[in-house]
Amino acid sequence: MTGATLDAREAGLVVEARLGRAPQDMLEAAVVLEAWAGVPAQAALAAARTMMPPVAAAPQRSVGRLPRPRNQEGVLLDGAAFVVTVIAIACWAAPLGSSVGVAVVEHALMLALPLTLALQWALGSRFLDRPHGVAQLADHRGTLILGAVAVLVLPSLAFGLGGTLAGLLTITWTGGTLLMRRRWPAVYVLAILLATVAMVADAEALAVVGVTAAVTTFAVVAALWSSVPPVRRSLGRWERAVMAGAIGVGLGLMLILDRTVSWTDGAVPALALLPSAVAGFWGGYHLRHLDQAIPSALSGVPVGVANARGLGRAPVRVLLETLGRFLLLCGALSATLLSLTPWLGDSARGAGVLVGFAVLALASMLVGLLESMGRGRWALLAVGVAAGAEAAIRFTGADPFPGAGLVVAGTLCVVLVLPAVLGLLRRPARTLATALWIP
Amino acid sequence: MTEGTYPYVMGGVSSWCNLLVESLAEFDWQVLPIVAPDGRPRTFALPAHAEEVARIEVWSEELPKRGRGRSAARRSGVDLPSILVRHLLGWEGNTDAVVSAWVWCRRHPAGVRRAFRSARGWAAFLAGLREVLAERVPEAGTPPTLDMVEAATLYQTLYWVARTAAVPTPQTDVLHVTAAGWAAIPSLVHKALHGTPMVLTEHGVYVREAYLAAARNGDSPGSRFAATRLARGLARAAYAGADVIAPVTDANAYWELGLGIDPGKILVLYNGLQPPAEPTPPPRTQTVVSVGRLDPLKDAHTMLRVAAETVGYMPSAQFLHYGPVPRGEEVYGRSCVALHQRLGLRDRFRFMGPTGDPNGVVRASDVVLMTSISEGLPMAILEAMGQARPVVSTGVGGVPEVVRGCGLVCPPGDDHGLSMAVLMLLRNPDLAWRLGRRGHSRLGRLFNESACLEGYRELLQTLAGNATERAVPALGLTA
Repeated sequence: MTGATLDAREAGLVVEARLGRAPQDMLEAAVVLEAWAGVPAQAALAAARTMMPPVAAAPQRSVGRLPRPRNQEGVLLDGAAFVVTVIAIACWAAPLGSSVGVAVVEHALMLALPLTLALQWALGSRFLDRPHGVAQLADHRGTLILGAVAVLVLPSLAFGLGGTLAGLLTITWTGGTLLMRRRWPAVYVLAILLATVAMVADAEALAVVGVTAAVTTFAVVAALWSSVPPVRRSLGRWERAVMAGAIGVGLGLMLILDRTVSWTDGAVPALALLPSAVAGFWGGYHLRHLDQAIPSALSGVPVGVANARGLGRAPVRVLLETLGRFLLLCGALSATLLSLTPWLGDSARGAGVLVGFAVLALASMLVGLLESMGRGRWALLAVGVAAGAEAAIRFTGADPFPGAGLVVAGTLCVVLVLPAVLGLLRRPARTLATALWIP
Repeated sequence: MTEGTYPYVMGGVSSWCNLLVESLAEFDWQVLPIVAPDGRPRTFALPAHAEEVARIEVWSEELPKRGRGRSAARRSGVDLPSILVRHLLGWEGNTDAVVSAWVWCRRHPAGVRRAFRSARGWAAFLAGLREVLAERVPEAGTPPTLDMVEAATLYQTLYWVARTAAVPTPQTDVLHVTAAGWAAIPSLVHKALHGTPMVLTEHGVYVREAYLAAARNGDSPGSRFAATRLARGLARAAYAGADVIAPVTDANAYWELGLGIDPGKILVLYNGLQPPAEPTPPPRTQTVVSVGRLDPLKDAHTMLRVAAETVGYMPSAQFLHYGPVPRGEEVYGRSCVALHQRLGLRDRFRFMGPTGDPNGVVRASDVVLMTSISEGLPMAILEAMGQARPVVSTGVGGVPEVVRGCGLVCPPGDDHGLSMAVLMLLRNPDLAWRLGRRGHSRLGRLFNESACLEGYRELLQTLAGNATERAVPALGLTA
């Protein structure tokens, strides 16, 4: 068969047989004739022109391919590991207080919590939240080790023993995050459990924390050493990572600025964090459904009805389900914890702190969602305002009940962030096109 | 300006770029590649008279440098997505409007992201897209109705088109673009701003390859429409802006003429190779070699079927394929392995992986096979002719005019015809050697490296000599 012998009808049949459908336009027809029927270019173009119908057919309705869902394998395992480590670390407060003094531990925690959150948020933004981001972090092993040294040395120089302890805790917690994201949670859990056993067995607590930090660092280096990214992709922007780090600092400040919460009162404060942390983890896990819910809500919706109402129903439903899960689990776990009154001391005091932690966890979750949807500045502003309000309560001493600072700051943050989140989810097309896919 | 090729990716276009850059040492070369943000190292070392002036990473998260007039840019930039969709995707879009929009991007690099992230930019884009979808031109067919996911995907692609236009280009005497697609964008802006002459070399026809890719990948009608119309829009802008279009083969020139290019702009400059002085005779081991990426355009499935049929008649025949599975074609690579197993080819057909010595592997063959469904003037065939090996190939692109008298050509996908041709040459080694020597001689006469280099030397010198500053055209987008 050659182009010279092909008339329009034959050409049309060849093209339809090859494509299994009518050609999109004359260029597609010409390409098919040349590539699969061996018709020379000139003849193919000429034949293709003549075979297109003079009268327009009805437009074909198209449904775009949805992005592939993210791999969530192992996330629940990570969650279990997280819970085990929170409980274990909660047991460190008393031995550490006995070893280096309660005031030193208090100062160390007030430094370590914001610093750890800042590092976790910044690393998440630039590396960990991206496909193969953990593996790409392996290219920066040297920087990570230098960073760990800086995290240890600088606070030590500035704050003495409290700074050293803060540095060691920061290294351990941040390293733990890296190990969990690398799917090496067992290593981290084992290190923390062994450290806890050693502390309970009256080993020198500061030395145990030091050894744990060193083991965690080596484990991180080994974990990263053994990971090679299959494809190198672009990393997150520095500006965005710095902003995420600032948000982390703000959330950390919200956590420590409430003067009614003592972090050295045995294991109680850390355990009080558990309901909100577990519920926040579950809520955050459920929020991942937005990855699919937003494009799915738009799939098959023709561009002609872009302003149709109700497109945001599915994404908003995911948010509401998340909030429901969070409140349900957090409430149940908090009630369980409150029932253990002897552990928490005064139940009213415990209730205020638990509510404060719950609101703060909710705020963190929503702030994270807003930041991931490209509205980091607004998220940072909300966190800044909330932390400022909590600082004002701390320094004026105007807290009517224990945990009031946490409650006020968390609520303020939620009030500032929730409308922005809802606004984005109610317009999924615009959010997808202008915020999510144009970072 | 290169796109996904030199100096980062091995392949025919990259080899040609390398030849030009290394051999035309009287020019100072400034290389501006467009690449994926995958941190891939350079495959080719640049000579002393060449430098990579920048690297455009599309789909990365890096932000452009801030431009001037931020508030003014905010006001005027909201139409940018709309202009791009109407004039790049519209069948009869205005290429001048596209270039003007790109010039605006260059002048307001920070405004691009702002325009595309704004609610008004998105609304204007949707209005423009609806206009395009409502077009009814007989030869353009009826556009499908895109859904919102496809629209958002297209919006993101146009954002990267605009970001590519925003990348600054260095002062230069001549712009040389290696594909009528994304690589042409920075050049067209530079030309609009400085009047610098522009040469466009097409190895494959960009539009044709975009349509082929869309036809085979089974995408939705909307995605197919967006991909092909964008490729067509970019190619139209490149053709309109280029002073000289230099296809590597007459077959490409026919396509370019068919796409409405002024014939006066077209200057065919064949690729060329330096053949060895006296070729070595074939090994007579019934070895058939193919060189090329494992890519659907190379139609490796047909190659495997040719091997299966040939081995059925001649069990001693051996097929060796040299070439990588390119990134993004891993599924196709696996399908080739699966077909290889299904056909029971075992060691009669071996995937040898990439080679750094294409001449050496061709020299060790009796016949060179190529089954592509789209080609310009393939280096693999020139390499075969350089080593005096007969070619059995599909008659696509410039292949028939190149292998005339020194090989056998069959229609694309004709595995039986190709297999019979291979068998005939394997069974008649004297005929094969005769055809090979004719190819060697033909290469020396028509497709030799010095003729190719001389053609470009003359062209670039003429354009550099004629370069004059032109007035900046009026722009549709104002600061």
